[in-house]
Amino acid sequence: MKFDLDAIYIENACRDTSLAQRVLARGDTRTAIHFIADGRAASLPLGDAADSFAAGKRRMVIMRRRSPFLMGCPAGSAKFACCGYLVLTLASNCPMDCSYCFLQEYVADNPGFQIYANYDDAFAEIDKLIAAAPDRHFRIGTGELADSLAMDSITGLSIDLIKFFAARETLTLELKTKTDEIENLLELDPHGRVLVSWTLSPRRLYESSEYRTASPSQRIDAARRVLEAGYRVAFHLDPIVAYPEAEPDYIDLMDELFSSIDPARISFISMGGLRMTPALRAAARRRFPTDAMLLGEDVLSADGRYRTFTLMRLRLYRILSEKFKKTGAEIPAYLCMENSSVHHRVFGAPAPHPAETSERLAIR
Amino acid sequence: MSLYVVDDAIRALAARRHLPNSHLAKWLAMDTGSRAALIEMVEPLKMRTGQIVVAIDLLDEIAIRERATVAAILSRADIRRSCVLDASGPAQAAAFLDALRAIRFPRLKLAIERLSAEVAALRLPAGLRVVLPKNLGSDELMIQLNARTPLEMRNLLDTLAAKKSELVRLAKLIGDDEA
Repeated sequence: MKFDLDAIYIENACRDTSLAQRVLARGDTRTAIHFIADGRAASLPLGDAADSFAAGKRRMVIMRRRSPFLMGCPAGSAKFACCGYLVLTLASNCPMDCSYCFLQEYVADNPGFQIYANYDDAFAEIDKLIAAAPDRHFRIGTGELADSLAMDSITGLSIDLIKFFAARETLTLELKTKTDEIENLLELDPHGRVLVSWTLSPRRLYESSEYRTASPSQRIDAARRVLEAGYRVAFHLDPIVAYPEAEPDYIDLMDELFSSIDPARISFISMGGLRMTPALRAAARRRFPTDAMLLGEDVLSADGRYRTFTLMRLRLYRILSEKFKKTGAEIPAYLCMENSSVHHRVFGAPAPHPAETSERLAIR
Repeated sequence: MSLYVVDDAIRALAARRHLPNSHLAKWLAMDTGSRAALIEMVEPLKMRTGQIVVAIDLLDEIAIRERATVAAILSRADIRRSCVLDASGPAQAAAFLDALRAIRFPRLKLAIERLSAEVAALRLPAGLRVVLPKNLGSDELMIQLNARTPLEMRNLLDTLAAKKSELVRLAKLIGDDEA
């Protein structure tokens, strides 16, 4: 997949980094290149852009990250039964454009498509974590504030990441994507320590709401190919959108997935209903005013987010959970941003502690 | 009404009611028939500003969900019925908004009706109330007990204990429509 950029901004201090050199060598020669003192200025919203968030997606900024790379998942909260996922922020924003994406609110004040050139510092942070907890396994992902692989043909970040993680036995790297950008991965041996995960949506949702992404079938096919190349694979049904035809569509999607990939070889499947803060909902509706997927039977829930009303949301979780069970493969499944009572109702058991879930998902 | 007369009438009403500019813009962005149909509906109902805002938002969302014009939505029998109820203006306006909400949230409406019927079937005495979560936005069931005397308290607690299995069933139903 190739994504067009309007311009690439490179911070002067990053000019000689391997990342900047790769981007300069592999990027489209028609894209304007600017060298600047501070990448943060180039990441701010453009005053004259009708849609500054969309404009930010087309403005790549190679810069230093000034804050820690490693953090707990921003979706995590004591209110929810979480999965203990750790996030490694190597980039911010994404060249694809999903109408429901939380980045529309999360990076609204900072929409430039930042990629951090000093990612060696991230490796130092991870080594410090391992040293502090040598007996624990950690699942660390790069796909929270950006797609892990969208620009990989230009940045080549996955190569350094996979080499780093493949050499550390208590780590699992999760590369989360909606692309089929896997060519770099196929050249490497992950030693079983790299998991590639795809967000999957029914075709109807993909066509209405997931612009510039790979189709669901392309994502499943890419998953099959990386699985054959020695990677672990997982899937995120997130967001699950409860549109009128959702039940048969999600079942069809699972049928397609399980007919292409042996369920026993799926590391896990996560589920999460569409949830939007009022500010995100307003931003999404402003940017995608005719997308009916943003207008489900959503009500304000206790955590201040709009969600499909509980009964209907749980029904979808339950139907999918039953579908996983019917494979006989005992696919690990968890819910994202749901509280423990919802977890109990869907899976029939109390939610484990996040650290326990994290360990289980990292090891399988 | 001609296009200009309709738009003038909408602008005049918006000015009188201090309708937010965003909602005036939404109204004026509708097709001609929808603009006219809405003002013909709103004026006789004497809707308050907040009610007009809610109506415009609901109509906008229904139009997108159902790929229909606002005029087509307003011509539906259930909407028309809500506006000819033999009731006061405010009650008619409230009925109109309820009818719109029923179209916008069809499955939620059915779920609330079903659960409300279950609650009613409990036949709880005065002083004991089962409160469903607002708009079924959570799976939390609240039981409210109001007693003024020790005897009232004892009686209500006895009733509550006697209803244990039905209440447990209700707690299941709130998260599982097939329970």
